[in-house]
Amino acid sequence: MEIQEEDVVVVQDNEDVSPSSGDENYLVPIDEYLAAGVHIGTQQKTKDMMRFVYRVRTDGLYVLDIHATNDRIIAAAELLSRYDISRVLVVSSRQYGQFPTKMFAKATGCKSAIGRFIPGMLTNSKTEYYFEPEIIIVTDPFGDAQVIREAKAVGVPIVALCDSNNLTTNVDFVIPTNNKGRKALSLVYWLFARELCNLNKRPFNYELSDFEVPL
Amino acid sequence: MAKTDVCTTCSVKLVKEGFIRMPCPKCGEEIGRCEACRKLGNLYKCPKCEFVGP
Repeated sequence: MEIQEEDVVVVQDNEDVSPSSGDENYLVPIDEYLAAGVHIGTQQKTKDMMRFVYRVRTDGLYVLDIHATNDRIIAAAELLSRYDISRVLVVSSRQYGQFPTKMFAKATGCKSAIGRFIPGMLTNSKTEYYFEPEIIIVTDPFGDAQVIREAKAVGVPIVALCDSNNLTTNVDFVIPTNNKGRKALSLVYWLFARELCNLNKRPFNYELSDFEVPL
Repeated sequence: MAKTDVCTTCSVKLVKEGFIRMPCPKCGEEIGRCEACRKLGNLYKCPKCEFVGP
């Protein structure tokens, strides 16, 4: 599907922010989202992610709708709060996602699997790392394809951070965000952890800088 | 909360391997997704609060 010229909306204040309905509950000011580059997509787009794309820039980058990202982080936290947090698995094979993932697991009390995902972790009960999660969070559906394949086999719902170039095959809940940037991943995981801890009535004493990968 | 035994999108019975049941992110109503709808990324709509996913 191609974006038609009449679909492109021009906003006076910031071209990358879609017009607000006025009653949104922002987790952080819009400027912080923009500074972290949460809205920056890729130069490719998929049909699955078209409903989260706000516009296309002149340099060919697809811009994601920040309001959708904000709403989806809140909804994802509500979804996860309905599960036993010790049975939640958060996964990242992507380098920049590993540290925020580890911090997310530490802050919320869930389990994390970073780096290479060992095949059989969800399906083979004889392996040392076997775990039976109730829900899984993945950082990138392309990079974490093995987790998605195993989760499908055992029938576990998947929440995924999806960029404009991701497919939503076997994903049950999409959080549209830039899943490649260091700051974007840190901000999204920090907000997600903060919302989840608030809903689970768990103390949350972390700053955004605690979730950022040390350079 | 009653367990749904059909796919929320296509009303197929949830028997084939690969289906899931999960609460609606907004209202908690149970949503079922069959293997085919998950594979194709078909949209689901919560019957109670009309939340559209994935």
